[in-house]
Amino acid sequence: MEQEAVALGHDVQVVDPDVRGYVYSLVTALGGFNGEDADKYILGDDALACLRDIKRWLKLYDEKNNRMDVARCLGEANLVNGDLLPILSIWWDNGQKSKHMTRVALACLELLVPLTWPIEYHSQMTVNHHRHTPYLQQTQAQYKRGILKYGGTNLLRAVIRIALPSMAIPRSERESRDEGILKLMLYLIRNVAIISTNARLAAEGEEEEVSRSATIDAFQAQDAFALILTMCSNVGDDFNMQDVVLLEILFHLVKGVNVDKLFMEEDQRKAKRTDELGDLLQKESLVRREYAKNAPTRHGRFGTMIWVKRDDAKVSTVSGQDVLRDDQTTLQKMDQSKKWNKPRPRRKKEDVVQNNNFNMPTHLSGSASKNLRTFVEEFLDSGFNPLFTHVRKAIEREAERVLDINSRQFFYTVGWFLEAERARRVSQMKKRTEQGKSAKETEPDSYGLVAGALNQETFITLNRAMQSSFDNKEWDDLNAQMRCFTQILLTVQEMALSPIEEDQEIAENIQNRIFYEETTHDRILAIVRGYKDQGFGYLDAATELAHVFLRMLERYSKENADMQIRSKRKAKRKKKAEQLNGQEAAGDEEQNSEDEEMEDAVQVTKERAFDFKRFSAKFCNQSCVDTFVAFTEFYKELNSEQLKRAHRYFYRIAFKQEMTVLLFRLDIINLFHRMIKGPGAIDNTKSVFKEWEELVRQIIRRLVKKIDQRPALVTELLFSKMNNTVYYLEYGQEKQTLSTA
Amino acid sequence: GDPSSLGLDEEVKVTKKRQPIAKLDDNRLLSQNGIPKLRKAAKQKLRFKGKGHEFSDAARLLNFYQLWLDDLFPRAKFADGLSMIEKLGHSKRIQTMRREWIEEEKPRLYTGPE
Repeated sequence: MEQEAVALGHDVQVVDPDVRGYVYSLVTALGGFNGEDADKYILGDDALACLRDIKRWLKLYDEKNNRMDVARCLGEANLVNGDLLPILSIWWDNGQKSKHMTRVALACLELLVPLTWPIEYHSQMTVNHHRHTPYLQQTQAQYKRGILKYGGTNLLRAVIRIALPSMAIPRSERESRDEGILKLMLYLIRNVAIISTNARLAAEGEEEEVSRSATIDAFQAQDAFALILTMCSNVGDDFNMQDVVLLEILFHLVKGVNVDKLFMEEDQRKAKRTDELGDLLQKESLVRREYAKNAPTRHGRFGTMIWVKRDDAKVSTVSGQDVLRDDQTTLQKMDQSKKWNKPRPRRKKEDVVQNNNFNMPTHLSGSASKNLRTFVEEFLDSGFNPLFTHVRKAIEREAERVLDINSRQFFYTVGWFLEAERARRVSQMKKRTEQGKSAKETEPDSYGLVAGALNQETFITLNRAMQSSFDNKEWDDLNAQMRCFTQILLTVQEMALSPIEEDQEIAENIQNRIFYEETTHDRILAIVRGYKDQGFGYLDAATELAHVFLRMLERYSKENADMQIRSKRKAKRKKKAEQLNGQEAAGDEEQNSEDEEMEDAVQVTKERAFDFKRFSAKFCNQSCVDTFVAFTEFYKELNSEQLKRAHRYFYRIAFKQEMTVLLFRLDIINLFHRMIKGPGAIDNTKSVFKEWEELVRQIIRRLVKKIDQRPALVTELLFSKMNNTVYYLEYGQEKQTLSTA
Repeated sequence: GDPSSLGLDEEVKVTKKRQPIAKLDDNRLLSQNGIPKLRKAAKQKLRFKGKGHEFSDAARLLNFYQLWLDDLFPRAKFADGLSMIEKLGHSKRIQTMRREWIEEEKPRLYTGPE
């Protein structure tokens, strides 16, 4: 009986009642609003001791037992919004001179940090965690709302104020207590930046007040941005240990923000928004029109039924008036009415990366855009090089404060700011020309501001990280690294066009270094070939990298006709040796493994001339095509830049490499046909549509011709092509190879 | 249990076997209704209009395959069926057959007097 009650009752005790009792009594003893003067918070007699006791509860009960009970009780007792924030506001208004009050304020901060610490779903969660997490996520959103805007006081500013005395001390004279205070303040800012409403829980109208826009506006209004800037630009001297937290704050501020939109002028953005609205309306009317085309013209019970005559005097029946229109809709309806779906392989459930997910786009309000943009520009001017150089060194050194996740955040943030720098240059250029000055009159800026991300050390770190993420299948990390690499390439490309001679030289040098290593080329190829279910964000990054890399390499190798690359090849000694003593070596395993070790050790490194044609031909195979097809499957959601990317690739396959056969597979043809002719075709008023239509037309024309020439294609259309027949199918003859005999 | 009872006393359990679910495997694909029929039908029926009619030609081609697939394996939707067949194409048996079909149409090379 009792068990049943526990399982079903809605007032189940989820927390030990004793614990709850202790915690509640502490919160009550902390203080409260006076009965006579209801809007005045009165501190309890032993408030400081109470705060310390609560902290002890959190530490010795929750942390030690790996539970969340105390945190939950504190949430239910409304500690943060009911006590901590009022106390901080008293301190801010008239307590800063009192030593005691300052201590109390610090104790409040010490509680705020663990209470706002981000809660993620992960694989080692207990039942207790699962029970409390949704509740705590919701209360954290309320905490954040309170911290960002508590009555008339600026509590963020108050928190920063607590740490200012410690900041003012030079690092050499700072005690560990001061470092601790700095850390607390920065972690609170980071927590505030992270917390957002959980999409899976009802947010009760708090989305606006805890959104990214609200965060950015509050950071601007309460000088958190100024603080971050100061610390970033002095990270090398005074704030050595704070680099990683600063990186985290930046990451959580900019993740998912669209750089292009950020750097638009206000009127431009408005125009863009109007365009977007127009676009959306048009899209909607397109959907409606398409529906109207096939919509029944009579009532729903009109009852039309037709026969589809088939071979051997068989017929199929299809019902509905829409099928009368043409063969195409009839066949579509026949297909749609099938009930069975091919079972999809179940995807392995991975840890949900909620807080560190940068694939979700974020929308900013007008004022937030302006504020963030100002901050970003100031950061680029003063903080970019010091911070990122410092963090990179910390990551390389595997410093203790660096977590695994920080490397991903580092690469994403570097990539994002590089893109921001390019966008800023474009908008500055525009402004100058608008003001009527020619480009020559004004001194062009050099790329020195972002040089910290364009040096050899960064490339080495990036290359090593990409390789290890790829080998260890850490796709999210690889995603961030690919985005970073793409942005580096694009920045270098623009640098090469800079009017400053020095910039050109440096760019030339960098390109030379990037393209010199053959391992880089091979890695990019391997990434594109190896796509399998890593999600759209990854697919987008991988295809973009391949696109940008190939185009730049093409241009660069054209300009430098005698480009050399360093290729590492394993020596082929072993095979020959085996052939020689094939008979004797059969039993001798030890010898064999020794041979293998030898083989690993012997790597021939040599320089050879680079041949772009041969390299790009490597992208011309079934697995690369499959990757781009998987990307194109999303055509309804892709923007024109992404559609162009896919278009260029298929164009390269079909007409530059002359391997249209790779595209002659029914699912691909089906996809292409659907993109142009529907249902669900690309909007035909867009310019990309014209390009795609032409491409698909050409491909189909070739297909039809080829089927006539080589009837075997009728069956081969069903399959991915085999390596040893693909050449014959394309050219109608075997590949000419020199006989070795 | 007891060997002398010959098992006569024990109740015989009759379990109804489920109807085996039809599968799209290489046997079905290579059966009379499968690729042989496709090859024959393509020779007889697959006609294209050529230049200027690319999209209607593509539709004709897709419809042709859809009807063939519907006959071969009515359960699956067109796209699902295609991906199942594509997967089968990686098997040894089908690959050998595919190579044979391609060899059939290749022009005979002059291999010297026999």
